[in-house]
Amino acid sequence: MTEMRLLDGSEAIVEAALLAGARFFAGYPMAPATELLEHMAAKLPRVDGVCINADSELQAVNMALGAAQVGARAATGSCGQGLALMQEAIAEAALNETPLVIFNIARNQQDYFQATRGGGWGDYRTVTFAPKDLHEAVEHTHLAFHVADKYRVPVIFMADNLIARTQMGTALPVPELETLPPKDWALDGTMGGTGASRWIWTFGGGKANRPGVGPDGYWRQIADKFDRIAKAEARHEQGFCDDAECVVVAFGSGGKFVEHVVRELRAEGHKIGFFRPVTLWPFPSEALEAATENASNILVFELNAGQMIDDVRLAVEGRDRIKPIGGISFDDSGLNIGPLMDARVIRTRILDQLAGKPLTELPYTGMGAYL
Amino acid sequence: MVQDSTRLNGLRAKHGRPPAGPHEPQAAPSTLRQGQPRFRGLEAGHRACQGCGEALAARIVMENAGPDVMVANATGCLEVFTTPWPQSAWRVPWMHSLFENAAAIASGMEAALKARGRNTKVLAFGGDGGTYDIGFQALSGMLERHHDVLYVCYDNEAYMNTGIQRSSSTPHAASTTTSPAGKERMGKRHLKKDLLSIIAAHHIPYAASASVAYPADLARKVRYAMGIEGPTFLVVHSPCPLGWRHASALTVEVARRAVECGLFPLVELERGALTNIMPIRTPRPVVDYLELQGRFAHLFDETDTRAIEERDHLQALADHNILTYGLAGTGDDPVDTTGIAHVRRGGPLAERT
Repeated sequence: MTEMRLLDGSEAIVEAALLAGARFFAGYPMAPATELLEHMAAKLPRVDGVCINADSELQAVNMALGAAQVGARAATGSCGQGLALMQEAIAEAALNETPLVIFNIARNQQDYFQATRGGGWGDYRTVTFAPKDLHEAVEHTHLAFHVADKYRVPVIFMADNLIARTQMGTALPVPELETLPPKDWALDGTMGGTGASRWIWTFGGGKANRPGVGPDGYWRQIADKFDRIAKAEARHEQGFCDDAECVVVAFGSGGKFVEHVVRELRAEGHKIGFFRPVTLWPFPSEALEAATENASNILVFELNAGQMIDDVRLAVEGRDRIKPIGGISFDDSGLNIGPLMDARVIRTRILDQLAGKPLTELPYTGMGAYL
Repeated sequence: MVQDSTRLNGLRAKHGRPPAGPHEPQAAPSTLRQGQPRFRGLEAGHRACQGCGEALAARIVMENAGPDVMVANATGCLEVFTTPWPQSAWRVPWMHSLFENAAAIASGMEAALKARGRNTKVLAFGGDGGTYDIGFQALSGMLERHHDVLYVCYDNEAYMNTGIQRSSSTPHAASTTTSPAGKERMGKRHLKKDLLSIIAAHHIPYAASASVAYPADLARKVRYAMGIEGPTFLVVHSPCPLGWRHASALTVEVARRAVECGLFPLVELERGALTNIMPIRTPRPVVDYLELQGRFAHLFDETDTRAIEERDHLQALADHNILTYGLAGTGDDPVDTTGIAHVRRGGPLAERT
């Protein structure tokens, strides 16, 4: 345990990544992910690592893919718009079994589908961690590298500008994780004819003397692997759900706001609980089903037009119980989280729903109101 | 330029500055807009930083290209400072798409306009990030397919919009947030990409470099390119006071020194062949250019031998440019880099001439 330091989220994530053994980072600047790249550029050379400021997100993610395939703990990062360009490589990484960490320092919460459904080709999923604050971001950084190496999959780490730009005191604790086997699958320069050469391809491996299972069999193996991950790696956090008549579901920093509001309402005597998926994929469906067994209202708070609510509907019986209380919310720049991410607003919206009233729209107070 | 001294004096009074000096015109037209070109294309009042080279260059380009034009704008400072919601400084049809797409968007606009029988010229604008790096593939395709587009790259030598990260246009040894100068490195380790040669290798009708320090030269190049049917390309050296860390008042001076030392040669290439250059009558030492800028401050640490090596390296690069393009002037060239000296200047460096 090192001493406490006051860090912003970007720097804390970078420090945690270095402690987790990351030695390669390739990124492309885009607010609010730029600081992550800048801290990597400053800190990685000090530990004999490499940080490359790529000439596009395409190069960044593929550089990291190349670095991971020769055995380095590699990562890349951008915000959601940048990850849009990376989709092809994320699919490639999933299908050629590359352990790769992709940091999405998102502008808002509109990248839920992008992270959990993906836009690449083939049968793949991406494990997605969504921390609620800086402390969890530090822990998730370690977990992301660990899970990526354990299963040889791409892992998306989805934070947002609130986490990246909020300063908190942290001692950068290193969680105790199981020891992983050496990366004997990595390309190491072994020549053909030695019996130990290897190659990497999204259609699967195999040679004339050891043909393996072929593309069909290989993709079945990949699909089986994602089924295994779905069963083993779903994480969640919940509170007061046992006797709750109303459960509020939210992810990321929204989850932290909701938790605060629910604790307040509990103290005032409302039978209310909160549920936060920590991994967006695998989505903790069974846990959510159990947590909402007795609830007559399931409220979903997310800052988008309704993305996670699909997963909630898939997880629980009784669709009429599920109601959205979030919505699209940006500030005037279009780059930052807007006024909906406010404990008072969330509180009003929850109480409105419980009273059967329609959601009150927020009055617009941005620059446009004064023009 | 004719200025409205009444309004200037009003502004000075408001901001606590002394009234106009005797060298400034006392009688002037009633508004700032009088005496300026009728078509501006890019209006004043946008949110560029004080001393922004790119804003100045874009205004000159638009004045000389317009008014029958459409603009495809890549992501970058130009997009952001001209169009903060809900405002826009553009007076022409304008479209923004993401970083890598300006040339492709412009290709599509041009092809469809042509199919509809329209002659509106399409302009594509990008910074050095959007041109040298992420949009390079689309640009090459646009040139190869021979679209009738004028592509202008405003080269401020780093990703300034996101806060000064190195690009492949960043000069050797410049310090940026992702190529920081320090114990390990002397700023950027690699050389500035010679984009103009790559563009010229497409054998397009016209490709040229220009600088905000030479507005008349820039205007002439824009007008010449506008008269050509086919792909044309301009790269305009546009200092960024924030990223290069020089005083806002020195934008033009910094740009001029880059040309005068040979680090940014002003050349014109037609169908891949060098057809014109701006001769340098008396080349300045590169140090004159470097010393104005904070991004090269680490090169002036006399206790560090690496600093002297890197300065020599940059001088060698400039000498190489002068030799390769034959930039050394003879003294009787009709136009050369000293032409600007006949224009009276104000500000901290006025006493130099």
